[in-house]
Amino acid sequence: MENELRNAIRELFANQGVGVAIGYGRVGVDGAVGAVFVTSPDDVDQLVWNNECRQNLAVHLTRPEVKALGKIAIVCKPCDARAVVVLANEAQIKREDLVVVGVVCEGIRNVKPDGSTSDKDYPKCETCVQHVPANVDVVIGETSKGEALDAKNAEVATTAGHQAKLAKLRAMSAEERFQYWRDEFSRCVRCYACRQSCPLCYCNRCVADKNRPARIDTSASLKGNFAWNILRAFHLAGRCVGCGACASACPAGIELDLLNLTLANAAKEHFGFVAGTEVGAAPLIGTYDRDDKEEFIR
Amino acid sequence: MAKIGVFTCWCGENIARNVDVQAVSEAISKLPGVACSENYKYMCSEPGQTLIADKIKELGLTGVVVASCSPHMHLKTFRKTVELAGVNPYLVEMANIREQCSWVHNDKPVATAKAIELIGMAVAKVRRNAALEPIKVPVTKRALVIGAGVAGIQAALDLAAGGVEVILVEREPSVGGKMAGLSETFPTLDCSQCILTPRMVEVGQHPNIKLMTYSEVEKVDGYVGNFKVTVRKKARYVDITKCTGCGSCWNACPKKGKIPNSFDYGLGNRGAIYIPFPQAVPARPTIDADNCIRIQNMAKGKELCGICSKQCAAQAINFHDQDELVEFDVGAIVVATGYKLYSIGKEQENPNIKGYGEYGYGKYKDVVDSLQFERIISASGPTGGEPKRPSDGATPKTIVFIQCTGSRDNAKGITYCSKICCMYTAKHTMLFKHKVHDGTAHVFYMDIRSGGKMYDEFVRRAIEQDGAQYHRGRVSKIEKVTVDGQTKYRCYGADTLAGTPCVVDADMVVLACAMVPSTGVKSLAQKLSVGYNEYGFLSESHPKLRPVETNAAGVFVCGACQGPKDIPETVAQASAAAGKALIMLSQPFLTREPEIATVDEKLCAACGACVKACPYKAISIEEIRDRKGNLVKMTSRVNPGLCMGCGTCVAVCPSKSVDLIGFTDDQVYAQIESLLD
Amino acid sequence: MSTETKAPDAFEPKIVAFVCNWCTYLGADLAGTNRLEYPANVRIIRLPCTGRIDFNLIVKAFEIGADAVLVSGCHPGDCHYTAGNFHARRRWKLFRELLDTVGVDLNRVYFSWISAAEGAKFQSLVTEIVEKTKAMGPYQEYKSIVAES
Repeated sequence: MENELRNAIRELFANQGVGVAIGYGRVGVDGAVGAVFVTSPDDVDQLVWNNECRQNLAVHLTRPEVKALGKIAIVCKPCDARAVVVLANEAQIKREDLVVVGVVCEGIRNVKPDGSTSDKDYPKCETCVQHVPANVDVVIGETSKGEALDAKNAEVATTAGHQAKLAKLRAMSAEERFQYWRDEFSRCVRCYACRQSCPLCYCNRCVADKNRPARIDTSASLKGNFAWNILRAFHLAGRCVGCGACASACPAGIELDLLNLTLANAAKEHFGFVAGTEVGAAPLIGTYDRDDKEEFIR
Repeated sequence: MAKIGVFTCWCGENIARNVDVQAVSEAISKLPGVACSENYKYMCSEPGQTLIADKIKELGLTGVVVASCSPHMHLKTFRKTVELAGVNPYLVEMANIREQCSWVHNDKPVATAKAIELIGMAVAKVRRNAALEPIKVPVTKRALVIGAGVAGIQAALDLAAGGVEVILVEREPSVGGKMAGLSETFPTLDCSQCILTPRMVEVGQHPNIKLMTYSEVEKVDGYVGNFKVTVRKKARYVDITKCTGCGSCWNACPKKGKIPNSFDYGLGNRGAIYIPFPQAVPARPTIDADNCIRIQNMAKGKELCGICSKQCAAQAINFHDQDELVEFDVGAIVVATGYKLYSIGKEQENPNIKGYGEYGYGKYKDVVDSLQFERIISASGPTGGEPKRPSDGATPKTIVFIQCTGSRDNAKGITYCSKICCMYTAKHTMLFKHKVHDGTAHVFYMDIRSGGKMYDEFVRRAIEQDGAQYHRGRVSKIEKVTVDGQTKYRCYGADTLAGTPCVVDADMVVLACAMVPSTGVKSLAQKLSVGYNEYGFLSESHPKLRPVETNAAGVFVCGACQGPKDIPETVAQASAAAGKALIMLSQPFLTREPEIATVDEKLCAACGACVKACPYKAISIEEIRDRKGNLVKMTSRVNPGLCMGCGTCVAVCPSKSVDLIGFTDDQVYAQIESLLD
Repeated sequence: MSTETKAPDAFEPKIVAFVCNWCTYLGADLAGTNRLEYPANVRIIRLPCTGRIDFNLIVKAFEIGADAVLVSGCHPGDCHYTAGNFHARRRWKLFRELLDTVGVDLNRVYFSWISAAEGAKFQSLVTEIVEKTKAMGPYQEYKSIVAES
């Protein structure tokens, strides 16, 4: 598959006037996989594809210095490709200036807090509902691995393991849940890695960095950490594609994506909306239906 | 450095009874930024206002808090007070310590403590208020009137008489609307056409009115004073500037008399080239392309028929005519799109509304709705005013009228009263009796609602002089039966006053169907950003005090598009709408409240969430370019002429790059934080 | 004036209400005009429309020690700005789910439609909120994360 990917990218450099290909390569001193920016067909062999390709590379699409490199080709897992759809729907990128190379993904290994990887204990995507990317220009890999989930058959991108975890959390009492997050958020150091790794946190200045007024406490206090994590999750309501980049980037190992999953489930259940599956979809927040549910309103 | 003056009102005893105003003044005087804290018996009185003005001058106050009644009561008053004293009127806040404190809390220490907190919130806010100037918007002195029934005609004539240029758009080939098809009108029984047709001619000829029939509003951009309207002139296939209206074309059409005429609600027929009725304005024909032999065969490359064109000496017929889009700038818009009747037997547009299969409408030809009956008894109708039933042309001797068909029926989905049916049904019984002296009219009704000048007298006349038989009750079923070889419609009703079943064999049945807004009104309302209720009736700004304005500034409503109403009420409302539009158009500039949304264009990421959320389409995505014309970035931008200041954009903006002046995040968070223990 | 004397340590909850200017604020005014008495614990923050009420205001209210929060506006179809309340309703529906997962007590977050004519509804809802919040006691959990910050 790796060769298939490299050949496809070479082809794009040759025939489609691509200026930069964003893909995965071994970039760390220890050979860890991260983003590489290939600007010449001679360097295409740097690209790798394996089950360590965790990051959502779409995060680089909105950066001016990357846009300046010319037409972009980007390697996207199925969940990442959804982020590209949202970015285009929110007019952050011009889809026609972009070639999305979708890779069939059979699951990515997660990283333990100590940096080691394990298939057994940290299965990030083994039960993920989508293996074949939708809304991409080129597909690499065996498309027989499943259905490409687009607007017609959209499912929330997540794994059964995650759903089970969320279900367990929601089965607790409110006090227990609050205590759970209190323990989790007490480890948050407000490094904002969650924000930096998210392709959809592209605001020019995050509201958390604004101080007239300071809408949330900017110090890594419990009060501020609750406010920040609520704010981060809700700003992604109807937008988060469930790639898990935030949780994966969190140095404190907080399972932030459970908050996002809550909202993704709610969007699907109450509004039949799954982010990033429909090209040209109107945003979930910012539109309404006269018959939206209101059983909770007095 | 803030110098806030706080003025606490006693409101006589209204506030002072439950709030210790002296203690309040003292507590407030200790708040940071408060330069003076006064209290007075009646702050809104002249001495009270003078006290505020004097303190402003004496201390050079930078902001004022009046702690008294609701801002809905006196905010305007105090804004004026401080303005006269030289302080910007938007530097005033009110703390509502009457309606929301002294009037609802009888425990004096508790109410006093709450009053102090409420005032503290207002002080926290006013310290962050900005001096604002009202927004001035230029006005285009031209009005668009949508719909040329009696409402649209009246509004257009009034606007034109006021010296304003009017674009009058009507989607049918002629002006006149529903009223042109009516027989005689209650309570005077004057002939509808006799009173309407002179008005129709007048709109056709008025120098200030540009009449656009067979046209529809396609798009509305812009905002109050400055709308850009696109009108679609549908292909008419007849150049009405060349046509003389001689009639040789429609008389020669081989389809003449073969196509149901919608003006007669399908009871009469016309040709493929036709005028809907002889008094039409403009008296120029239209080709119904779907039924024209020539046009239908053109696509197949065949040149058939074309007889009308051969007959036309003026060479006005053009089989290749196309729809045309025309743009206009207008300052005000009057919506007068009227109503139609609820269709009881056929499929409903609104899934919540059900038909009356049990009445056989659409199945039995002699079961007609009230507008069809108007045509049957109208001198200009398909029977020339002779009451003849549609199935066999026989003169009906017994007619059953069923009121509230659809109206006031929760089970069928319409809860409202259509208001005019009681009156026109009484009229129908009279007109019928005047034409068929030995006939009998039976009316099944729920209540008789005949409020109005000479209205109840009219109904009494129908009953007492013209012998209409009124039965209080509903008809549950209509069955077609043969009695002595004659077709009858057996109406199974009830007379709830007598407590007996009431079965009438009728020659004909007339259903007084509910009035519903005309087709397409919701999509028009969306183009105009005007609200509507669950049935599609357009929403006025305030049911009592602003009955012809809408929440879309510069858009006015009149007639049955706003709710069921009769002709006198419609005409009155149309004149009112025209008057309101004239007031607006008589000023060189419109002044609008400055409390609107504003975008920090440097920080906006142009994601478009606010653009989608804005109920007024007041936000657009724009380019920022440098002096050389290079694109710097995209941003959303608020059109101050369109923004109404709801702030929905602020809540959906993730980076809070948009804020609402007058209710900024800075102000609101300060209010909340003032409540910190 | 009430002659009842309150125990000095009786818990008086702090209720912050975010209301729209055109319906609920006027409903509260009507309660006043009709002298409909209710407990004095509620602090109203007037905003033009429920459409303006950002979710973070609710979080902020808890941060300053609110024991319960009320968000209220015009009934569907009655919005002064046509659709602000429809936008708000969708956001609240989603936000409640998030608060639920976070463990914020949903018995302390109220949403309502109160029209300008519903002074009595304002009175009864505020009374109910105050009574229920009194029964639940202070919102100790949220106060404790604030205290530790």
